[in-house]
Amino acid sequence: MTGSILPVDDDVATRSAGRPLLEVRDLRTYFHVMDGVVRAVDGISFSIMAGETLGIVGESGCGKSVTSLSIMRLLDMPPAEIPSGEILFEGRDLLTMPDEEMRKVRGNDIAMIFQEPMTSLNPVFTVGDQIAEAVILHQGLSKKAAWDKAIESLKAVGINNPERRVKQYPHELSGGMRQRVMIAMALSCDPKLLIADEPTTALDVTIQAQILELIRTVQDRTGAALMLITHDLGVVAETVKDVVVMYAGRIVEEGSVEEVLLAPKHPYTEGLLGSIPSRGKRGERLNVIRGTVPNPFNMPPGCNFAPRCPYAFEPCTQADPRIGDANPPDVACWLYTATATSPTPPRVRPRLDLVEALG
Amino acid sequence: MIKFIIRRSLGLVPLLLLVVVFSFLLMKAAPGGPEAQFQGNKKISQVQIDAWLKRWCLQPTDANTPILEQVGNYFVEFGGWFGILNCNRSGSQAFFSDSGGLNVLPPALGGGSNGVIHGDLGYGIQSGRPVTEIIAERIPATFILAFTALVLWVSIAIVLGVYAAIHRYSLFDQTVTFLSYIFYSLPTFWLGLNLIFIFGVALRWFPTGGIITTRDWSPFNTPQYWQQFGANPGAATLDIGRHLFLPVLTLVAVNIAGDSRFVRASMLESINQDYVRTARAKGLRNRVVVGKHALRNAMLPVVTNVALEIPFLFSGAIVTETIFNWPGMGRLFIDSIGGKDYFVIMGLLLVTAIITLFANLIADVVYAIVDPRIRYD
Repeated sequence: MTGSILPVDDDVATRSAGRPLLEVRDLRTYFHVMDGVVRAVDGISFSIMAGETLGIVGESGCGKSVTSLSIMRLLDMPPAEIPSGEILFEGRDLLTMPDEEMRKVRGNDIAMIFQEPMTSLNPVFTVGDQIAEAVILHQGLSKKAAWDKAIESLKAVGINNPERRVKQYPHELSGGMRQRVMIAMALSCDPKLLIADEPTTALDVTIQAQILELIRTVQDRTGAALMLITHDLGVVAETVKDVVVMYAGRIVEEGSVEEVLLAPKHPYTEGLLGSIPSRGKRGERLNVIRGTVPNPFNMPPGCNFAPRCPYAFEPCTQADPRIGDANPPDVACWLYTATATSPTPPRVRPRLDLVEALG
Repeated sequence: MIKFIIRRSLGLVPLLLLVVVFSFLLMKAAPGGPEAQFQGNKKISQVQIDAWLKRWCLQPTDANTPILEQVGNYFVEFGGWFGILNCNRSGSQAFFSDSGGLNVLPPALGGGSNGVIHGDLGYGIQSGRPVTEIIAERIPATFILAFTALVLWVSIAIVLGVYAAIHRYSLFDQTVTFLSYIFYSLPTFWLGLNLIFIFGVALRWFPTGGIITTRDWSPFNTPQYWQQFGANPGAATLDIGRHLFLPVLTLVAVNIAGDSRFVRASMLESINQDYVRTARAKGLRNRVVVGKHALRNAMLPVVTNVALEIPFLFSGAIVTETIFNWPGMGRLFIDSIGGKDYFVIMGLLLVTAIITLFANLIADVVYAIVDPRIRYD
């Protein structure tokens, strides 16, 4: 790829000049299954600048994990297929890259932390073996040097007595400790981009905060960009600068954390925020989003969210809003198009607790 | 670990005892007996037959004996075989040896010298030779066949299973699946007879049975044979190899089918684990991801499975040995059952039970070595 490609997203371009580290353009990931084709990711675009943080938010099945696996090219094809799109990493398209080169990107340039620390480590190898393995591969270190590096990276993620821990097997560690090991493993090769796919979902609440704090510190220290995938808006508020909200394989809203959490535009984002219990709403019923995610084989005509949307009106069932169509362009909703005879624009109480979390 | 092995081995003793008691009773409960060889022989009277049975420490029974008395007789016979009872004496006196001490005790303490607990497996009724000797001379043939077949089928099954799992639903996978079902469904005797017919009779590529060419060599496993073997090891090995081919092929074909399915399933499960995705996300080569991270975990259940297949092989691949006239323990077993050679049968069952129990123990130990999550102390 040449250097002539400039970010399409004006928002990002104004914030920081230059080429984004990762740029996803119109990515589509489909799964061919027995009953037909599931459009898990259906034309999404976003970008991350070097050293920046981006959160991808959405409920289960909205395509956020598939997005990260598509970037890493970790999906089995078939059944997965990426019919269109580009994933530019430092200007090179990861999707068309030869396997051998992609392998060098994985773990070395882009590292990933998975959701399940209990099962993401191989039970029959020691923690040290599993960290050293990547270091030996990507940095060409000797076994001894890689082992030292493993101890060092365990120390860096706040594991006490790393000299002893490095010789232990995953089953000898707690869940939080294993996730620290995963982070140590991801950071051992100094990646430029860290993808964390629900890194705290499987952990208990007290550990969650520690792990988020850790991810933020190491990200800060190493200067790696962070792509955080989560369904937890609280995690987003605490950890990242920019947010992308996904629904049924599409991006429905994007912007800075402040914009999205304090003044959500899309009814779905509003619904997500409304469904978090908070001090201010004590004694009230929770405002949950009605209905369920649409059947992937039977997507509603028009806007995917229309059947569940409290503001849905005529255009919503006829045409499909795409991000950029509306004004402002960072939301995919007919409520914001200039021509629409909009009823009430969504209004939501600012989340004071989230404001506090933002500092 | 040592403690675990000792504890488990001690636990095996009562289990072994139970196995032995039950198999003895079952064997005795089957109709007929070694005295059937005298049936219709007008020169031998019933009194002589009963005396003959007595000499073998067996209780004469006929159809009119009440069932409870028969079962009681079985226990008396078992006691004699096991070494609790002294069959030179009768009634409650049978508990005491000829020298007057309790018969179970070692001879040095005034006990008897007969029975398993005194290291005496008895004599073959058909041959009159010690059972230990009869079994021992069958071990080499069984070992050669079992070991060759096991090594071949396990390694081929692993290669086929792993390859089929990696290339799931490919033409190769489908072919292996198809052939597996066919061979899995084929009875050993049918396959063996067909192989004999095709390769032995029609094509004449391989001998139809036996372990050596009898016109060229002395009988297998005799001192003369080993002398000839030593003088000409190349030709002797080649000769055994030619005889091995068909029985090994039979065992391998039938057993590969099941085991390759097992390996494939285990590998498929392992390949879809999160840690394999982690390994891939680290940028490891596919060969390392599959060959190290997935395979190591997939082999854990295979280890147990193989360890538990061993006893069946070493007790003699009975059908295969019979069809190919293989002078091993399996054929000895069939021949002994035919002749109601009780003490040889019990000897073989004892050996099989011990091998089975120890194979289980070894499986546990190996499992602990390959899987760091298992700790026995």
